[in-house]
Amino acid sequence: MGEVIVVTSGKGGVGKTTTTANLGMGLASHGKKVCLVDADIGLRNLDVVLGLENRIVFDIVDVTSGVCRIRQALIKDKRCEGLHLLPAAQTKDKTAVNPDQMKELCEELRKEFDYVIIDCPAGIEQGFKNAIAGADKAIVVTTPEVSAVRDADRIIGLLEAAELREPKLIINRYRPKMVNRGDMMSIDDMNEILAIDLLGVVPEDEQVVVTTNKGETVVRDEKSQSGQAYRNITRRILGENVPLMNLEEQSGLFSALRKMIGLK
Amino acid sequence: MTKETLFNSTASNPSPGSFPVELEGLVDENTVLVQRTLRSGQSIYHDGNVVILGDVNPGAEVVASGNIIVMGSLRGVVHAGAKGDTNAIILAFRLRPTQLRIGNHITRPPEDESSDPDYPELARIKNGVVTIETFNSVIR
Ligand SMILES: Nc1ncnc2c1ncn2[C@@H]1O[C@H](COP(=O)(O)OP(=O)(O)O)[C@@H](O)[C@H]1O
Ligand SMILES: [Mg+2]
Repeated sequence: MGEVIVVTSGKGGVGKTTTTANLGMGLASHGKKVCLVDADIGLRNLDVVLGLENRIVFDIVDVTSGVCRIRQALIKDKRCEGLHLLPAAQTKDKTAVNPDQMKELCEELRKEFDYVIIDCPAGIEQGFKNAIAGADKAIVVTTPEVSAVRDADRIIGLLEAAELREPKLIINRYRPKMVNRGDMMSIDDMNEILAIDLLGVVPEDEQVVVTTNKGETVVRDEKSQSGQAYRNITRRILGENVPLMNLEEQSGLFSALRKMIGLK
Repeated sequence: MTKETLFNSTASNPSPGSFPVELEGLVDENTVLVQRTLRSGQSIYHDGNVVILGDVNPGAEVVASGNIIVMGSLRGVVHAGAKGDTNAIILAFRLRPTQLRIGNHITRPPEDESSDPDYPELARIKNGVVTIETFNSVIR
């Protein structure tokens, strides 16, 4: 029986879809059977991020309303065997699915897959309730901004109330230089408020945008720092003990060099 | 009154609600204990005292007609003496509220964060203004 993990945040645009895509690809690269579920009904984009948009025939609402069987709606990734997507519906709204249907769907999927990862919509309303209904674990994504952390805190409270205990935190778009200048919340600042286990820190990295726009995932980009961060997080989910990578190494070395040659 | 005397008096008095005459007025039964952190969007309203074994995060709210004690960081909004009791106090291990109210007095912390001390502090009304002082176990 596989695990059902929901990726959530409260605030929009912090990196839920990016995280879902990269963890899915990461886990599948380790030979796991993974199903990504786009629960952001009406605003689907996990398929676009994965470059699978043109292969959609049926969607999640077709499955829950009995128009087709799960198997017919699943899209196999073209690059990585083991990775599958259950796309969201674009033309229906969040009320087209209810929490009981989501539970049933997740129970079916976990029989077939090692990991079922659900991309949650922003907000705390129906879409959120649907997305968490069938999950047994949760990953909360935040960026180092006061408003995002506030929403993450709210979400953690709601997850706890829904008996989704011990959610894990991913900090995305972290910028060490800004933190050093005191212009951005540090990992410690966020930990002090949220006080949940840290699963990983993903730096701000334009490679994320570059790969996403091509329908690719940065986790497969060997050279990028954000790819390394997602590979580390993948291994932590698989149970390995991987220390946090040193995000400052690069900038620290550069600034030390610059100082040496008298540029600063 | 030490802890010990309170303990002894309740222990020797099996029927709850009755205390030796000399302790009446000092003993308040109407206190709730919250054994977790209050996160953003969560709130507690209580007619009596509230003790929180955890933090009160930004976006959380505690309103009590009596005193509020936070055994952790208080960063949200608190209102003690919410029914007008200006003798109510607010005590926290780390007192950093978004907004602090006692009775009908409303205060905000000063703009500069640099002076945040890392020891327990007590807020109460003295001579008509809310004052913050170091907590050193002698309350009144
Ligand atoms: N680590 C990162 N560095 C740079 N850009 C990022 C990073 N993570 C996400 N983004 C960008 O931020 C935007 C929002 O991300 P997305 O995953 O769609 O958020 P959500 O699903 O939470 O709304 C996207 O354009 C994405 O490419
Ligand atoms: Mg999204």
